[in-house]
Amino acid sequence: MQRKIKLLTFAAMLVSTSSLVNAADLTKAYEMPNASKLIEKDLLAPAKTYTMPKGCISSDATSIARGEFIFHNLNGKKAKQTPPKGLARFIEVKGKDGKVKKKPKQYGNCVACHNIEGAKGGGNIGPDLTGYKAMFIDTKVRDNQFVYQKIADPRVDNPKTHMTVNLTTKLFNEQEICDLASYVVSVKK
Amino acid sequence: MKRVILPVVLLLTMATAGEQFAMSDADRAMYKEMLENNPADIYVEEGGELLEEQLGGEAALAKFLGVSEKELPKYIAGFPRYIKKLGNVVGIDQVLQAMQVEQGKEKYKLKSEKMFSMLAYVKSLANDEQIAIDINADKYIKASYDLGKKTFETARGGRGLSCLSCHSKDIVGMVLRTQPLPDLGEAGAGATWPAYRMTKSSLRTLQRRFQGCMKNALLKVIPIGSKEMVGLEVYVSTLAQDKKQPIAIPGLKR
Ligand code: HEC
Ligand code: HEC
Repeated sequence: MQRKIKLLTFAAMLVSTSSLVNAADLTKAYEMPNASKLIEKDLLAPAKTYTMPKGCISSDATSIARGEFIFHNLNGKKAKQTPPKGLARFIEVKGKDGKVKKKPKQYGNCVACHNIEGAKGGGNIGPDLTGYKAMFIDTKVRDNQFVYQKIADPRVDNPKTHMTVNLTTKLFNEQEICDLASYVVSVKK
Repeated sequence: MKRVILPVVLLLTMATAGEQFAMSDADRAMYKEMLENNPADIYVEEGGELLEEQLGGEAALAKFLGVSEKELPKYIAGFPRYIKKLGNVVGIDQVLQAMQVEQGKEKYKLKSEKMFSMLAYVKSLANDEQIAIDINADKYIKASYDLGKKTFETARGGRGLSCLSCHSKDIVGMVLRTQPLPDLGEAGAGATWPAYRMTKSSLRTLQRRFQGCMKNALLKVIPIGSKEMVGLEVYVSTLAQDKKQPIAIPGLKR
């Protein structure tokens, strides 16, 4: 009898201490992964002003074709047509393990926000770019440098823009910004 | 489980959206059908069974949270919230994990389907309640709200976008590649997830939905349960709270 009570109290003590330990442990009992480093590395750099390189905007058909393709497509995996000369569907990136992996090349998906000649499902968050040359360039309301800058980093004339940043983020290189600008200011059918 | 009545506004906007939008007539017909018979109901039910078998049901949950069963729905409507014994502002899913650990069970991963189901069930207990997050209740929830708002407004990723780039007041209703931009408050986002996502044919949670937007917009996807994610949930939930959108789980989304 005595023994039994002793055992019982002992068991009760065990249970209560183990639940005490548990109570303390509960601060670590659930997942709360750290995301701050991920975010830190992903931050957008300050707005940057660019000067359009020499010969940037051209009437070269292959440059315009690339610009058109980048404008209308989201990425190399989703694109239905084969990209034009000088534009890849996939790019190779080195992973953390040192292995080279193929990733779909991201395009501009500009059509998500802008209507333009031949747009399918064009959005209206950005201005309609249809007839851009006649409307803006020929009338001297805009020039090529403005178009280049706007696509490269739209924040310089509108810090609160809803538009994507394309060169400062290194999503595209200079040539690709030129391709896009060439397409926007080209005369379309 | 309480049945959910989806806001009429939502139905109307989805039913009247024209040709240019992402929903075809066939999709809309299916949507109407699903309103009466949300495919996610079975997940919510499964979640209820898991809670019962794994953890001892609502009674155990109420006890863990230190409230009565009667108070439970209102209390759940206040999540994410600061839970002292967990030492953080946490979501319902994290509370469930802590309960699993306390009871010597293996915890479900936050991103697992079982956790999504259990979370959906627990949140559905608060159906018809209004979200009740008091961001001035303590310094922890205030900090979480601030972090969430900051995360919402921070531009990053390959295209330099923030959540605010697409979810600010001034562009609500504009069209982004066939999709009208929702007002996250009016849409009751914080009150209608977990939801059945038709385009993914599965039950998704609010934080999982955030990840979808991050992925699409090329922002680095951050993990479910991180302080930033919980903060985003707090922030987005208060938007629905301001619009007095009642909790209605499971939601039904395009
Ligand atoms: C998420 C929305 C969005 C996307 C994506 C987007 N834009 Fe824009 N764009 C805008 C908005 C909004 C403006 C209006 C000016 C501003 O607010 O900066 C604009 C302005 C412009 C202008 C200047 C028009 C003028 O003369 O005033 C050009 C050119 C342009 N965009 C080209 C592009 C190109 C090329 C791409 C793709 C690489 C692109 N945009 C992607 C939203 C977008
Ligand atoms: C490039 C534009 C864009 C960005 C950036 C973006 N979103 Fe979205 N978001 C959308 C669109 C478009 C929808 C509606 C999609 C649909 O109809 O399925 C949406 C839907 C949502 C919904 C669901 C609303 C509902 O009906 O319940 C939530 C929640 C959400 N976004 C949160 C976020 C958060 C948080 C971020 C930032 C991490 C973010 N979004 C970034 C475009 C964006």
